[in-house]
Amino acid sequence: MDRAFQRTRILTNHLLLPPPAQTACLTSNDCLNYSPPELSEKYAFDVNEMRRLMDGHDVEERDRLFGLIIQSKLFNPRVRGGKVFVSPDYNQSMEQQREMTWKRIEYLLERGVFRGWMTGEGEEMEMKRFACFEVLGIFDHSISIKLGVHFFLWGGAIQFFGTKHHHDKWLRDTENYMIKGCFSMTELGHGSNVRGIETVTTYDSNTGEFIINTPCESAQKYWIGGAAKHATHTIVFSQLNINGTNEGVHALIAQIRDADGNVCPNIRIADCGHKIGLNGVDNGRIWFDNVRVPRENLLNSVADVSPDGKYLSSIKDPDQRFAAFLSPLTAGRVNIAVNAVYQSKVGLSITVRYALTRRAFALKANEPEVLLLDYPSHQRRLLPLLAKIYAMSFGANYLKMLYVKRTPQSNKTIHVVSSSFKATFTWSNMQILQECREACGGQGLKTENRVGHLKAEHDVQSTFEGDNNILMQQVSKALFAEYMAAQKRNKVFKGLGLEHMNKPCPVIPSQLTSTTLRSSQFQMDALCLRERELLNRFVADVSQCQARGESKEHAFNTNYQLAEDLGKAFSDQAIFQTFVDAEATLAAGSLKDVLGMVRSLYALTCLEDVTYLRYGYLSVDNAAAVRREITKLCSELRPHALALVSSFGIPDAFLSPIAFNWIDANSWTSVQH
Amino acid sequence: MASSVSSQHDQILVEVNSSARILTLNRPKQLNALSLQMICRMLELFIAYEEDPNVKLVILKGKGRAFCTGGDVAAVVHDIRTGGWRAGANHFMKGYTLNYLMATYSKPQVSILNGIVMGGGNGASMHGRFRVATENALFAMPETAVGLFPDVGASYFFSRLPGFFGEYLGLTGARLGGAEMLACGLATHFVPSAKLSMLEAALYAVDSSDPEIISSIIDQYSEQPSLKEQSVYNRLDVIDRCFSQKTVEEILSALEREAVNGRDRWISATIQTLKKSSPTSLKISLRSIRVGRLQGVGPCLVREYRMVCHVLRGEFSKDFLEGYRAILVDKDKNPKWEPSKLELVTDTTVDRYFAKVIGEDWDDLKLPVRSKFNLPPYVIAKL
Repeated sequence: MDRAFQRTRILTNHLLLPPPAQTACLTSNDCLNYSPPELSEKYAFDVNEMRRLMDGHDVEERDRLFGLIIQSKLFNPRVRGGKVFVSPDYNQSMEQQREMTWKRIEYLLERGVFRGWMTGEGEEMEMKRFACFEVLGIFDHSISIKLGVHFFLWGGAIQFFGTKHHHDKWLRDTENYMIKGCFSMTELGHGSNVRGIETVTTYDSNTGEFIINTPCESAQKYWIGGAAKHATHTIVFSQLNINGTNEGVHALIAQIRDADGNVCPNIRIADCGHKIGLNGVDNGRIWFDNVRVPRENLLNSVADVSPDGKYLSSIKDPDQRFAAFLSPLTAGRVNIAVNAVYQSKVGLSITVRYALTRRAFALKANEPEVLLLDYPSHQRRLLPLLAKIYAMSFGANYLKMLYVKRTPQSNKTIHVVSSSFKATFTWSNMQILQECREACGGQGLKTENRVGHLKAEHDVQSTFEGDNNILMQQVSKALFAEYMAAQKRNKVFKGLGLEHMNKPCPVIPSQLTSTTLRSSQFQMDALCLRERELLNRFVADVSQCQARGESKEHAFNTNYQLAEDLGKAFSDQAIFQTFVDAEATLAAGSLKDVLGMVRSLYALTCLEDVTYLRYGYLSVDNAAAVRREITKLCSELRPHALALVSSFGIPDAFLSPIAFNWIDANSWTSVQH
Repeated sequence: MASSVSSQHDQILVEVNSSARILTLNRPKQLNALSLQMICRMLELFIAYEEDPNVKLVILKGKGRAFCTGGDVAAVVHDIRTGGWRAGANHFMKGYTLNYLMATYSKPQVSILNGIVMGGGNGASMHGRFRVATENALFAMPETAVGLFPDVGASYFFSRLPGFFGEYLGLTGARLGGAEMLACGLATHFVPSAKLSMLEAALYAVDSSDPEIISSIIDQYSEQPSLKEQSVYNRLDVIDRCFSQKTVEEILSALEREAVNGRDRWISATIQTLKKSSPTSLKISLRSIRVGRLQGVGPCLVREYRMVCHVLRGEFSKDFLEGYRAILVDKDKNPKWEPSKLELVTDTTVDRYFAKVIGEDWDDLKLPVRSKFNLPPYVIAKL
């Protein structure tokens, strides 16, 4: 080419082209490249089929809702590394976050998402509603709680404690958000011990009205979701005092704000203030000063007061009467348990994807650095947690089915299983998110990467709808009661998964081989053995205390360590059972094979628990064999890691920048744009 | 320094201009409808250019008053009649493969949309990095009117438009001008046609594949056109309210509710358009866009290939042939759709369009493996 042309071209370039961007030298340098994990990892099974198994129901409904969220500016879409992510702006003030939560609810309301939630009925509708809560919970905890208070607590209380005229009057308006409900149970002085609350309601037969009072500061209603800003009505729990007799805790409806949002007379409301998470929910405190409500506002399915002031109840036993009042909390508890599993799915999806693209340290000089997930230690940190979430997904599906198919006979089972799963799932969620946060290194600390922030948002799960420790104690007490009942009547165990107690005690082989360790029969035996032995021991120790003249309650309190271990043993076994049942529905194939490995990893992780050595259910040698097998399973599951998290079915937009091209998401160009 | 390496009769004209390659769709009488030959030629060229270090940029344009009006439906129907539906499906298989190549291309593609761009023409442009619209641009995906559905990856790029605008465009086949294309993101730039030759000259001088650099060059010739007051894009709130509904039936009733609230010719025209379209097409199109929203471009094309095979096979509905007859052959504009009503198209029927075709040695679309190139981030999502 001639010189003249070359010179012309150089001059043209000087004139026409902008100076090369500062980034040009950075992008052309191939120091570190992002390579999507999809390019190197292969799916050995159909991830869509796995997702259907895991989600269990309403996959299309879930995807529609995901789509509704992604398409609206209200859900704060942000572009990072060429991809759109939706997540609330947690840098907004508490006030702004609350406002946004409410606007999002209005958007979903307009699009008919809540249609049938209060006025419809049946298993199908209830399952669909659970699915929607799971999706909304993946977007943000606040919106899910704000809706949960309105529909499950306020709406649920009206459905369960109310009678026809309450249903006719309130359910449609609740579904359409003509009114906004909240649920005033907890007080400053009483949380888990609802029977001790101090708010008092009396009846004035002259006017046919109830009068609600907050007699002291410790009786102020506390943590009431929706009360600080938006709620117009509330369910009030109080001691019903009729003619000087305390009839125990009852629920009635009171209006707390008018249609314009002004607080009603004789009501005082204060804000609970800024929290470590969940700031999109307006938790408030309420005081009642001689608030009068019509007689019809008593939710009277369990008990009623006649116009002339006589207390009437079909349930004579106050204990049973009280238990009937706690039933809406069960739906909430199911919701929380399931939601916790989905949060872990978000955390694990992000963390595993990051571990498949982020490298650290080369084994030799001039070699490429090693992918995080190719380190056995990193596999050991994440893959057992992945297995746990698979197990808990099946547990969650079982729990939902148990709930929607409820009968008066299944109430006890629902209470025990929901308590145990709620505590187990929410505790493990916090553990998983913490591990994920650390496994993402510094990136885990950025709010936009979600994993770290989710911890703060979901910490409350171990407290609300029943403190986890107390729920687990209730599980042990229920098992104790089952044991005593079977013994007293000299009958076999039936229910709560205790049937294995009727069979001879399983024997653990003295030398555990790989084949044995991976057999579901052995895994089941080992889990049943621990539950059985701990229950026997718990009963023996409590009985011993009682024989010394201690009360049963005191004996439970002093044997708290055994109670905790027993509750955990029950949960692990019950969850494992649901895994085995889900696996049994599958035809032979790659999906079932991988799921079998996941099941083994879950079971062996349970067997690694300290109780097996503490009480000698496993020999030291066998415990070592379990540990070795876990390592092997981790390396065998490593090639399936991406497929396993992809099967969670969480759309890209609900993960975070480090789950995708984190180099581009952090490039200088992205700073300029 | 420009050199032409093709004859005037070629359906794709190829020009070499330093680092740029200019491909011109050259079937002006047919408004540049894509023949199988054109698709295969473009596949060849795109594959070769990606390997060739001398090529930095590919420019795609159309000869005459159209950029491209889509696939050659007459040829597809002819092939079905002579060789069975599989012969027709071959057009789509090749076309979708080209769409995928463009969507994951490692070098920038600049499409100059100075005229009609419809159907498959959108497949040939929207997946590329830069779409330059002019005042002559006229966009539409009118497939539901002929018993098809928006394909060529439309379930990917429609589902990523703001709000529920994609559902609106896909179901109604509504037309957009250049300014509207820019506003909604279908076009990346708006350049008046008078400046096109200058823009092209500037692009020939580029010796880089850096999208930032190319973007800044196009920026220099770009304008920010204002939307007409009656533009559909100004009705985004109504569109969002109606087209976010769960089903086609609910979308229609939402539109009818809006029509009650105020007399509006646009709303009644929209309702009429929907009522005239194939009920089967409407339902599978809506599902396709909704599903596409959560999928990558590859899975979108694989799914659309399944769907189009079912459409061509005509097992559940023969609306495609009927639409072809009524709109393109007899031109009576009065197709007799079967099933004839929305309520007759059940969810189970719709499900079938998304399932694999059973038997006949059929296989899913096999997309080329693209891992060889370290794909730049914008290939994952361009819209």
